[in-house]
Amino acid sequence: MASMKLIISAPHTTTINTLSTTSNKSPIKNLSFFSFPSSTALKSIHTTKTPPRRFLNLIVSALGKLSDTELVPVSSLFPSAAGVYAVYDNNSDLQFVGLSRNIQSSILNHRKTVPELCGSIKVGLVDNPDRSSLTDAWKSWMEEYIEATGKVPPGNESGNTTWVRQAPPKKKADLRITPGRNTQLTVPLEELIDRMVKENKVVAFIKGSRSAPQCGFSQRVVGILDSEGVDYESVDVLDEEHNGGLRETLKRYSNWPTFPQVFVNGELVGGCDILSSMHEKGELAGLFKQ
Amino acid sequence: MGLRAPNVLLTRANRIKSKLQTVLEAKVLEVEDVSYQHAGHSAVRDNANETHFNVKVVSDKFDGQSLVRRHRLVYDALADELASGLHALSIVAKTPKEAGLS
Repeated sequence: MASMKLIISAPHTTTINTLSTTSNKSPIKNLSFFSFPSSTALKSIHTTKTPPRRFLNLIVSALGKLSDTELVPVSSLFPSAAGVYAVYDNNSDLQFVGLSRNIQSSILNHRKTVPELCGSIKVGLVDNPDRSSLTDAWKSWMEEYIEATGKVPPGNESGNTTWVRQAPPKKKADLRITPGRNTQLTVPLEELIDRMVKENKVVAFIKGSRSAPQCGFSQRVVGILDSEGVDYESVDVLDEEHNGGLRETLKRYSNWPTFPQVFVNGELVGGCDILSSMHEKGELAGLFKQ
Repeated sequence: MGLRAPNVLLTRANRIKSKLQTVLEAKVLEVEDVSYQHAGHSAVRDNANETHFNVKVVSDKFDGQSLVRRHRLVYDALADELASGLHALSIVAKTPKEAGLS
């Protein structure tokens, strides 16, 4: 165990290199977990042997050993306080050990994002929730579990992002006309364009991808569509690999010689100038509603 | 505008002006070469210049026309230029009324 190199990760993101706290037998490298605002008071945690406290219908216990802590249904009301928590699935297998400044809100979040993995919960409150007390508490549970089972809870394994608060939604992928360069088109490109703009409410043909436009005008159009909050598709006319020949064919199809080109309900609305002008006059929202 | 020199010897800006004036009978016509702003742009190859222009046109011919149709009128008038290296236009197309001229 002492020689075992573990990489354990919990939701982002502070990394410490060694465990050098009191109760510590095995050095665990590269632990990471939630980051906190640093706190001024540095007091040690009073752990162990405190009997569970119950008030109202809150099920609360100060931090004890993981194995001694009461397992309660995920639907219980948890304190909006700092501490560590362990999430068990419906087979009572430990999935994740987390720490939080607001246990109730963290657990609600997990129930929303991974309901299938949230069966029951153990909670250990940390009275002095400064950074080191919380991380010590988290480590004590992790070590206890690792010692008992020889493995890391699946959700705490390095690279497992299941329990990490969801990052803001990524930008949609650009639409592609073909899956790759050597695709033999069975229908004329004009027809594919025609379908594309008619089957999608808003389509922007831009230079570069929507996440990295290669031209200032395309960038402006993407910015306008994003700021209008409209759900739109984008096609990269510079992507010769997937959209070979699109530029020239689209110019003919739309009778419009430049890019970007924005289509709404199959009709060309215009390029950057027109989009900008309509955006400034507040005319776009109405157009997208049609 | 009498064209004494062959077209190729005129700047593109002047050719654009002359073509738009002829086709659109513009009341106001401003053409500005802003190619320098796009130097190094992926589409501007071989140190090409005269690629990007700002165009402002005020014309009675835009009356009752949508923005798309107005821009098409401009693009159509400049088809030769677009086919020979003109890469992008930023277009302001107004009727005299919209421009506050009448």
